[in-house]
Amino acid sequence: MSEFTISRRGLLSGSALLLASTALPTIGRAQTPKKGGRLIVAADSEPRDLNPAIVASNGVFFISSKIVETLAEASFDGKDGLDPRLALSWEGAADGLSVTFKLRDGVKWHDGKPFTAADVAFSALQIWKPLQNLGRTVFKDLSTVDTPDDLTAIFKFAKPTPFQLIRNALPALSSVVPKHVYENGKIEDNPANNAPVGTGPFKFAEYKAGQYYRLARNDDYWSKDEPYLDEIVYQVLPDRTSAAAALEAEEIQLAAFSAVPLADLDRISKVPGLKVVTKGYEGLTYQLVVEINHRRKELADLKVRQAIAHAIDKDFVVKTIFLGYAATATGPVPKNDPQFYTADVPAYPFDVAKANELLDEAGYKRADDGKRFSLRLLPAPYFNETKQFGDYLRQALAAIGIDAKIVNNDSAAHIKAVYTDHAFDLAVGPPVFRGDPAISTTILVQSGIPDGVPFSNQGGYKNAELDALIAKASETLDTAARTELYREFQKKVAADLPLINVAEWSFISVARDTVGNIANNPRWAVSNWADTYLES
Amino acid sequence: MSRLWRFFRTPEAIAGALILALLVAMAVAAPLIFPGDPQAIAGPALLPPFQDWSLPLGTDRLGRDVTAELFHGARTSLAVGLAAAAAALFIGAVVGTLAGFAGGLVDEVLMRVTDAFQTVPSFLLALAFVSIVGPSLGVVVGAIALGAWTGPARVARAEVLSIRERDYVAGARVIGMYPLEIAFREVLPNALPPVLALSSVIVAAAILTEAALSFLGLGDPNRVTWGGMIAEGRAVLRTAPFLSIVPGIALVLTVLGVYLAGEGVVESSAVRRSLS
Repeated sequence: MSEFTISRRGLLSGSALLLASTALPTIGRAQTPKKGGRLIVAADSEPRDLNPAIVASNGVFFISSKIVETLAEASFDGKDGLDPRLALSWEGAADGLSVTFKLRDGVKWHDGKPFTAADVAFSALQIWKPLQNLGRTVFKDLSTVDTPDDLTAIFKFAKPTPFQLIRNALPALSSVVPKHVYENGKIEDNPANNAPVGTGPFKFAEYKAGQYYRLARNDDYWSKDEPYLDEIVYQVLPDRTSAAAALEAEEIQLAAFSAVPLADLDRISKVPGLKVVTKGYEGLTYQLVVEINHRRKELADLKVRQAIAHAIDKDFVVKTIFLGYAATATGPVPKNDPQFYTADVPAYPFDVAKANELLDEAGYKRADDGKRFSLRLLPAPYFNETKQFGDYLRQALAAIGIDAKIVNNDSAAHIKAVYTDHAFDLAVGPPVFRGDPAISTTILVQSGIPDGVPFSNQGGYKNAELDALIAKASETLDTAARTELYREFQKKVAADLPLINVAEWSFISVARDTVGNIANNPRWAVSNWADTYLES
Repeated sequence: MSRLWRFFRTPEAIAGALILALLVAMAVAAPLIFPGDPQAIAGPALLPPFQDWSLPLGTDRLGRDVTAELFHGARTSLAVGLAAAAAALFIGAVVGTLAGFAGGLVDEVLMRVTDAFQTVPSFLLALAFVSIVGPSLGVVVGAIALGAWTGPARVARAEVLSIRERDYVAGARVIGMYPLEIAFREVLPNALPPVLALSSVIVAAAILTEAALSFLGLGDPNRVTWGGMIAEGRAVLRTAPFLSIVPGIALVLTVLGVYLAGEGVVESSAVRRSLS
């Protein structure tokens, strides 16, 4: 695997050649990974539930993907963008009613029991389909999993399910947990949710609340010689500014998920011994989105939504808020998606005069104080960038005579206010694009979703044409036809603006130069790190 | 006049008064010097201070004018400090007078409630209050007053206890005044000076508490506050420390000024008392 490091100064200075040469795959391969060592990583949150089969989120994967493995992992150059993990091959039937997985032989659970197809069947039917946040949608038509032998699992679907969707869902949704640990008692209350048992390269060792998680090498890992590391320690550092200082002091060796603030990257890239890596998050694209409550009479008017879209200077957002570490968005599928993205959608260039015109046309004239109407604006509190964009959006709206009042909430209160109580007019949200629009993107505009489902259409938006399109795409088996339907979906969303996509961003890792084989797959931070090593 | 003269005799008091005067001038002049929205984007982001004289203190992460924010922030700090102190003194004086004058069961109940409020750290109380009710300027003022009224209440009660035994209070009783009338028209005005002496401490504490609440994201998000400015600057502390330092200095000076001026007032009235 190649390793690309990006350091603006480094590329300019005399060391550019040296850097570039380490980026060449051949030389990268020639370097033999060292064995042993303890990798200390910054962790900014402490997930209580570490079972990735139930909670498929990046916060959980960051730790537990090293312990519990999926059927396949995302890959830069593998077939269909996948690398085999617990499954060696996958094949979909032409009628879309079944998918056959051939499983890896000789895999053992951390407690010594053999891994078999029964574990896959159990995880799929008892956990992914009924309990998992994302699996509920993707596996909703899964009826049975046949296991003709220990190394074959055949997923049977009640309704035709596109194989493309199942394939795209494998990296995030297919964490396999041991049947023998989970079969007795309530799955949600199983102690293994806090001390997971898996097949991965590392075993769960200990967790000290507020201090660290420690994972230890699995000596029985199925890939001989791997993992290279003896231990991974996740040092809990909730304060973002402390991650940069800890890296410089060599207290930690890696800070992933932009634990180092973007504004610090320029400075930190000049610190000798540290590298800034922007690769390794291609499969984890976050979207900066303005969620709209269509119950507000003003916002139900397409002209007002278009005016808001014209009022947002996306380039400013990318340059100033994300300091260039993001891309402007055109629609609901991010530009970096290789399968579905289309640029052929209605665009809304930054144009304040046009926005004012549209609002005048819509009949919302400026009052004597220059204001047309007031709105409540709820920026999601999860990221600095979403909060800052909230501040920016308030100013952008002020320029077109819309008086936005910011309402700040903590995470729990924000989710309740937006997705349950609908007590918002505009909200700033960071939904994640997970490689297929059917996993977590169409739900943002589809109607008929019950109240309280987070990160879904809770703005009261209803468009029969779009709903029909989404329904049709969800049962279209032919990959090309399905892709075409999702291109149509992007056009319709960009035209009718049920929400406004502003930017797409990913994360940055900062690591010490001694950490090898980082960022070698599109979900690296949440992959299993079996081949990661430390030079002494 | 002689009292004013006494006040300005100590250098601390002069310094305090000067700082306060400057602060008030900033607060009053803010909408005149920086009309319009202080949070409007005025220039390139993260411009350091003293680079561009139209933006003397530079700009923040979004390109907002730090000088304008500083001036408008003075308004918020001063408004919150004064309003919270007034509310705390009012509640404290009323509760203290009632408890001291009524005595008996009323005194017991009111003082146990005061105890209860005093045992909870006032900042935690404010934090809990704002996070439940939701951040807005009025709520922040209420939350700070909620933790600050106990001091004045205790001082007022102690004063009332000694005043209610005086002859003129007995005289008022004899001429048939209602007890509440005596409490609030005869006793309270005389018990007030030592209570008012607490005001500088309360104003200073209120300004700090407001800044701390804003720093934690519990201030009014639609207003510029110094605490909020420091919190925003913290993310870029290493690359643009001035964003935290400038409002930090303003905060320190303000609290210092309020405290010094308060000391001056106490000192001058103490001199007067010892003279009389």
